Parts: sequence; C-alpha cells; structure tokens
Amino acid sequence: MRLFKVMNIHDELASIVGEKWVITGKETRLYSYDGFTAVEGDPSMVVLPGNEEEAIRVVRLLLERQVKFVMRGTGTSLSGATVPLGGEVVVGMARLNRVYSQSGLEIEVGPGIANAMVTKNAPPHLFYAPDPSSYMVSSIGGNISHDSGGVHVVKYGPTVNSVVSVRVILAGGQVEDVEYGPFLSSLPIFVGAEGTLGGILRARLRLFPKPATRKSIFATFDSVRDAGRAVVDIFRTGVIPSALEMMDRNTIRVVERSRYRANAPDVEALLLIELDGSEEAVSEQENLVSRVIKEDNGERIYPDDGGTKLWNARKGAFPAMGVVAPAYLTLDCNVPREALPDVLAGVAEIGRRKGVLIANVFHAGDGNLHPLIPYFPDKAESLKLALETSAEIMKFALRMGGVPSGEHGIGIEKLKYMDMYYNKEELQVLRRIKSVFDPGNLLNPCKLLGGCRPRDEVTRWMWEWD
Amino acid sequence: MGLEDACVHCGFCLEACPTYVVTRSEIHSPRGRITSVRLGISSEGIETCMFCRRCELACPSGVEYGKLIHNVREESPVKKALNVVMERPQLAYRFFKSSEGLNSPVVRRIHELIPRMEAPLEYREESPEIILFPGCLMSVAFRRTVNNALLFIKSRGYRVEILNGCCGLSHYSEGDKVRSNALIQQLRERFKGRRVVSLSSNCSAHMREMGLNVEDFSEFALSELRDEKRKLTITIHDPCHANLMGITKSTRKVVERLGINVVEMDEPSFECGAGGGYFIYHPEIADRVMDVKAEKVKRSGQKLVLSTNPACSLALAFKGFRPLHLADILEGIEDLNPS
Ligand SMILES: Cc1cc2nc3c(=O)[nH]c(=O)nc-3n(C[C@H](O)[C@H](O)[C@H](O)COP(=O)(O)OP(=O)(O)OC[C@H]3O[C@@H](n4cnc5c(N)ncnc54)[C@H](O)[C@@H]3O)c2cc1C
Ligand code: SF4
Ligand code: SF4
Repeated sequence: MRLFKVMNIHDELASIVGEKWVITGKETRLYSYDGFTAVEGDPSMVVLPGNEEEAIRVVRLLLERQVKFVMRGTGTSLSGATVPLGGEVVVGMARLNRVYSQSGLEIEVGPGIANAMVTKNAPPHLFYAPDPSSYMVSSIGGNISHDSGGVHVVKYGPTVNSVVSVRVILAGGQVEDVEYGPFLSSLPIFVGAEGTLGGILRARLRLFPKPATRKSIFATFDSVRDAGRAVVDIFRTGVIPSALEMMDRNTIRVVERSRYRANAPDVEALLLIELDGSEEAVSEQENLVSRVIKEDNGERIYPDDGGTKLWNARKGAFPAMGVVAPAYLTLDCNVPREALPDVLAGVAEIGRRKGVLIANVFHAGDGNLHPLIPYFPDKAESLKLALETSAEIMKFALRMGGVPSGEHGIGIEKLKYMDMYYNKEELQVLRRIKSVFDPGNLLNPCKLLGGCRPRDEVTRWMWEWD
Repeated sequence: MGLEDACVHCGFCLEACPTYVVTRSEIHSPRGRITSVRLGISSEGIETCMFCRRCELACPSGVEYGKLIHNVREESPVKKALNVVMERPQLAYRFFKSSEGLNSPVVRRIHELIPRMEAPLEYREESPEIILFPGCLMSVAFRRTVNNALLFIKSRGYRVEILNGCCGLSHYSEGDKVRSNALIQQLRERFKGRRVVSLSSNCSAHMREMGLNVEDFSEFALSELRDEKRKLTITIHDPCHANLMGITKSTRKVVERLGINVVEMDEPSFECGAGGGYFIYHPEIADRVMDVKAEKVKRSGQKLVLSTNPACSLALAFKGFRPLHLADILEGIEDLNPS
C-alpha cells in the first residue's frame, strides 16, 4: 500500500524537480543513514528540490498524499535524526544553498548552505558564530533543527542565539515567516525541532563583528579532575572565554594517530582556551587564566604554530576515531559546569568497569560532554556493549543534574533518556505540541518524541530498558 | 576489512568534492561512493568521480579513497581505446589530426577542449644526463611549454633527452589495473639510473606514488634557480594530485623566489573541471565544475594563471584564462606581454 502510494507520486515529483533529482531503487540507500551509523533506514525515495519553490511544491504534494517524509540537510546528525525508519521519503535540502541577501548584521540564506559558507559570504569584519566541528559541511537547516553548538557556544550561544527569523513550511502546506518577538514568539520552537514540526525553507541569521584580537592558550594537566576544576575556576575569575575545550588522554592518543596529528603532549588532560576582545581586555584575561592554570596544577604550553594544529585536532577528533574503529557513539549530555570534575571521574570509572575505551573531547566551558565510544558495526555484541555503556553514562549524567543532549539532538538515539529526563505530564505536553503542528504525524516520525515500536534488536537496545 | 570500512560517514569530505559541490547529491559525493561500495550496490556515482582525490585531504579518518575507487572501477572500451592512443603521443597527434571534422560527440568534445595539437617535440643529445618527461597530453597540446622546459634545462648546462610517453594516471583512475601497472613498469625500466624531470605535475605526483624516482619540473627549477626576477602578476592553480603530494609547494617557492606578484584565487586546489579525460565522458558535470572554478579564478581579477598540469591548463584556457606553466615563465617570458 505504502509502496503503491509512493510509486504513484514518483512522476509527479519528477515533474517538479526533474527526473534526475528523484532517486529510486538501490541508490536510495545512500540516504539511509547519517553521522549516526548504527541503524540503517529504508527510504522509499529521495527527492532533491533545486530551489525554494520546488521544495514547497514537493512538500505540498507529499502532504496532500499523506506520505511521510524526512527532511535532510547534509546528513551529519550524530543522533540519527534523518534516518527514515519506516520507508519515509527523504527530502534533501542541500541544493537550497543560496545567499539571498546581506545587510547590517544579518544575512539571509537557504537551509542547504554549509555553515562555513555563511561567514565566507559575510563582509570581512563579520562572522557567523555557531561553529559545530562539522561547520565545513553541515547545513544551516540541520544546525537550526538540532540547535547546534560549537566551541564558541560558551560566549556566543548555540544556534538559537543567532537565528533572527525562519521561513517554514507547515504540515498544512502553509508557508510562514516567523520572527523573534516579545509575545508568544514561535521562532524558538523550530530551533531544535529536528524537522518534526515543519520544514525550514530559509533563515535570517545574526552576524557578530569579529573581535579585535583572539588569543589561544593551551594548558596540560596530570589529572582530569584538576583540569575540570580549572574550567570552573576560570569562570569564577569573571572571565568568559570565547572557547574552552578539553581533550583527555584517550582523545589525544587517537588524534595523534590520525591525520590531525598535532604533536600534542601525552597527558591526562589538555585544555584549549580562546580569549577574544580588545587587546587590553584579552591580555588582562590572559593573566587571570594563567593564574588559575597554575593554581590548579596545570602547565601552559606554547605550540610552534600558535596552536592551529591543536585546534584542528580538536575539530577533527570525532571522525579521527576512525583510526580506532569504523563507528562510534557520541554522547553529548550537558552537565552543570561545577559537576564536571565528578562527572569525568565517574565516566572514566564506567569505562573501566565495562572494559570500553571512552575518549572524552568536549566543550568544557558549557559543561557539554562528548564521551566517544567506538564499536565495530559488524559485531552486534560490540554495538550492544557501546549502547549499554552510553546508557550508564547517561543515567549517571542525568543524576548529576545533566540534560540528555546539549547539541546533537535526540534523534532516534537518545529517545529512552527523554522518558528519564521528563516526567509523564511534561512528555504529554510535548506530544500535544507535536500533534498540533503535525496531526497526521507525517513529518520525521519516530524522532525526538519517539512513539514507534522497535523494529529490530538494535532499536530495541536503543529504545527500551532491560 | 576493506578500505571502505575506514569511513565513519561523517561527511567532512562533501564540500571538498567538486562533483558534490555542483550536484549536492549524495550519489556524486565521496561518502556516497564509499557507501555504495560498502553496501555493494551499483551507483552512477562510481563513474562520475573525477579522481581528484581532494576528499582524501579532507578526510579525518584517513580513508584511502584513490585506491578504493581504482579497485572498484571497470574501464569502458571507449576509455580504454583513448588511453591506448594517448600512450603514444605521436600516434595521438596523428589520430587527432585525422579526426578533425569527424562527427562523433567524443571527438567533437576533444576538439572543443584541445583546439590545437602539435607533433610532440623530439630531442636527444648524446649520453643525456637528464630525461625530460613531458607527459602524454603536455607533449601534444603544449609543445611550446616542452620547448621552454628544454631550453631552461639546457641553459643550466645539462645534456637532455625528451621521452614522450604516458605515466598511466588516466588508466589508473579509470580502474585499468593491468595497463597502468605495465606503463609504470616500462617507465621504471627506462628511467633506471637516470635523472628524470617530469613536466606535468599530476603525472609527477602519480609516478612518485607508484614508487618511481622523478623530480617535478618545479623542484628541478628550484634547485637550479639563479638570482633572477620576473615582473609579473598572476594567480595560481594547484593541480589536484600535485597538491595532494605536496609538489605545489615547490612551485610556489619558485614563484616567490622570482619575485612574482601573486593574487590568490579562492581554493587554489579546487578541481579545474577537466579531470584527466573526465570532461569527455561527463560533459555536464565537467562543465559545471569548470564554471565554479572559473568563478573562483575570476574573483582574483587575473587572467594569467599558473598551472603546471596540461589538463588543467586546457580547462582554464577553455574558460578564457591564459594558463602558463612554470617553464613558460622561466623561458618564454617575452611572449607573455604582461599588461
Ligand atoms: C564529525 C562530526 C562532528 C560534529 N560536531 C558537532 C559539534 O561540534 N556541535 C554540534 O552541535 N554538532 C556537531 N555534529 C552534529 C551535526 O553536524 C549537527 O547536528 C548539524 O547541525 C547537522 O546538520 P546537517 O545539515 O548535517 O543536518 P542533518 O543531519 O541532515 O539533519 C539533522 C536534523 O535536521 C533536520 N533538518 C535538516 N534540514 C532541515 C530543514 N531544512 N528543515 C527542517 N528540518 C531539517 C533533519 O530532519 C534532522 O532532524 C557533528 C557531526 C559530526 C559527524
Ligand atoms: S576523487 Fe574528487 S571527485 Fe572523486 S570523490 Fe574524491 S573529491 Fe570527489
Ligand atoms: S570518506 Fe572520510 S571524510 Fe568522507 S565521510 Fe568517510 S570518514 Fe568522513
């Protein structure tokens, strides 16, 4: 029945976007998963509209025919938010990558544009602040839908702080421009919605003036606990760094084996700190930060290249895991900064107990952990162990006052932690919101709020408690 | 574990890939191609890869994409025939001449990109100290550049022999394992114990990767440069494989030593669009890549483009720019007419 419905609309879709932009048959499998590779979906068809008008017509047609669909940007989601689990049609938005206009501190772009291209198209004195490590490729539509963060979140905020307005297509087929406003603004609800409430057709983004200077500071620590304490203490001095990242020993060893080799010292923890602002402000902050590093038993290091390689190593740390195993889970629980030292110790303990290598590389400044857990996809036990380990870490982080996801989203990966984090009433409210926007449950089903049955062993491990 | 299993599906390679940039489709992306190999499904993307290997530079997991695609590709009869012709530049030249006016799309496309061919330059001195290896396309499409390189090497006091042949990079990229190996084997024999200067920088890169000991012309020039200057303003294109192997660094050093004013283009190593013989078989994608490249060059405001690889030079000329080889700058400067 479903297949029949989809076959029927093939020709109509092709007449909108052109035959070669509708993908059918085996090649649809190239859209069956994203940056989260543990579960492969089964898209019934892939459509790649070439502009906003085509996208609107495509979505309206799908809605009219009651065909479920998943919007997709670049497919770098780490929580499997684009995986079509039930034969949904994938609507790829990557071709909608135009810059529509730029004036003042704002720029208007299509959702398919890569994050990095926003700054590239901005005047030289301005920049787009949210910078997930995937910024070279991940799309603005995806960034908005996951409320993505990056190393500069600690000072400039995640994506939500840089979105001025979005144009969305809703499940009724209407196209609306929603802006930030003081009264019942509906803009924020689309940020982090994972494509479950509407499709983002374009976005007006905020640009920040580039700071006069930026200064990188690197410090090594003999214990993760000391490094965690230094993070907390830096903020105590009143300094708000523009970036504050941590890499632990496992991560350092992994990147040193990858093409991001940076000759990083083999230590328990490395802090990467960036300060920005006027010359005077930066130098004053530097003094304060240096003092904290010393007091917390750290030591500053001064790389030959000023630290470019270390920053690249930080940005490439996830995929560099490829040198250990072809797949990995990335958790991203956010915990209160003050809890960092204890949480890190606890995570290490879980790793030891489970006998799993856990590499920690994360946005320390905003308490956003990224424990990376490698596994071998062709061995079911290996994935099961990785999932069990992540469940333990999650439970522990939530107990310590954390939230399930700081920036990578819930997708299909973290559904069971939603039940843990929210109580029944809260979840009900969220589900009611979803059904107001999308009564037919056509938009990216199963994601964010779940509601689907496990379809195999892996989804059962992911979604159900033992 | 196959080479494809090293890919973690992060997508970091996407925007580095010229065919993805112009299609924005997973089918024509490195990640998609690798996934199709891993899942064992046949996909159009395997054929549309330009084999520029920019994805390798972008990949944090160290996926050996070049090897992977070489292993899975099967060469079509048309490609095979054309490669065989190019193996012998004299033959290529005669074939080209006799094909003028022929009404086949392949032939027409070739003539469109290569407006003029000349017989390869033959030159041999007694007991030569240096073998100059122009590379197949260079020898027939840029005879003057070969001549300039010859003059430069001779001006440094060396006895030279020109060896017109083919390194087999096209064969390799199109998956012809047997023939590409045989060509390298032949060259290994002929290069044995000799000092070889290679004029096409992507060929230099390929031969080096295949274990042959060759000097790229830029490296030779760097070691032989005297205190000389050239008053010139140019922009530089970094040919993809030469860039991957770090050869473009020496080209840039020579340019710097010559005191040439460089206005950088956006992403100098972005694919030219020719992709070896790619422009012949996939005109639609090739044309769009050439357009994107032309935009990047245009924004530099320069017409003179340093390009040390013949296919790139042809693509740049096709788009209305004036490509120059390092050899042309060193010896042919009077023709340049810098304005
Ligand atoms: C190696 C690596 C490093 C990463 N580092 C970071 C990091 O530092 N910080 C961080 O926050 N994230 C990071 N990520 C995660 C990922 O890159 C981000 O979540 C990114 O925003 C996803 O963008 P995308 O274009 O790939 O979206 P996709 O993966 O294609 O989609 C993500 C979600 O957005 C929805 N969506 C996409 N486009 C639209 C649209 N136009 N309308 C409606 N819904 C849409 C999809 O349905 C899906 O729910 C990383 C990922 C990888 C692989
Ligand atoms: S070799 Fe070039 S064209 Fe082929 S996948 Fe890699 S980047 Fe793309
Ligand atoms: S080839 Fe490399 S960069 Fe591309 S998706 Fe795979 S791991 Fe990532």
